[in-house]
Amino acid sequence: MYIINFAETVLNTNAKEGKTPMVKQIAIYGTYEAKVPVFQRYWKRRIDGVKQRYWKKTTRMKKVVESGRYEFHGKGKDLYKAIIKALQIMPKGFVDVSAIKFLKKPEKYGYEGEWVEREVKS
Amino acid sequence: MKVNGLRGKSNLNEEWNHHFVLGYTDEETVMLDFDSTSFKTVRYWASRAMKWFKLEGFIILRSSLNNYHVIFNRKVSWKENMHIVAWVGLLCNNPMLEKWFLMQCIKEGSTLRVSPKREKPSPRIVFRHGKEEDQVKNFLKYRELTKNIIRKLKAD
Repeated sequence: MYIINFAETVLNTNAKEGKTPMVKQIAIYGTYEAKVPVFQRYWKRRIDGVKQRYWKKTTRMKKVVESGRYEFHGKGKDLYKAIIKALQIMPKGFVDVSAIKFLKKPEKYGYEGEWVEREVKS
Repeated sequence: MKVNGLRGKSNLNEEWNHHFVLGYTDEETVMLDFDSTSFKTVRYWASRAMKWFKLEGFIILRSSLNNYHVIFNRKVSWKENMHIVAWVGLLCNNPMLEKWFLMQCIKEGSTLRVSPKREKPSPRIVFRHGKEEDQVKNFLKYRELTKNIIRKLKAD
């Protein structure tokens, strides 16, 4: 009982201080080529008379070469599975996610594509 | 000074045909990336920083010719971590280290490479000094985990 209370106190203290418990991560980074959806802009007049610009996702896809990065945290097996998945799913910019969450819904964090050879800094 | 450490026994560096890089990221470990610097200079600055900030110990890894990584043992906050890296970067007058420091500030986490990269092999430990039971041990544990993943990737 004492141990449970102590653990709860530690967790609460960390939450209050805004600390994240996991700070050690495996990074997978580089340059990739992926097909991303094309966004189209359009304007709509608001009630107050101001013309507001909006973006809508079209069905068209375009090929882009970008650099991106995953920061995975979790246990060894999940990390391995996440890295295997990351060979096909390219990150949307900088993605910091737990390996389990990524494995549940990988398409949320990136697009399908492949890593290409380019100069990359750490 | 001649430094050994890239002539490995394992075949980990062979046949790396993936175009991405695997690395280790941490906020609490003081890490330095010395590019285009001799081993003697790296050892001097690592030793000086260790003594000045009481970092207990360090290891030096050689990533390629005249490129070295340093990992210190004592656990620090992110604020102190960046304080130490900025101190070393400014005093040793290494523009590559300063650039690396800025990149880590943007990411809010220090990253060092573990996997091979193009023709460069995985970084190898070439020097150990002082204690190793805290952050150095953690780093080596995660490095081993990453290397196991690399081995599995090659086997698949």
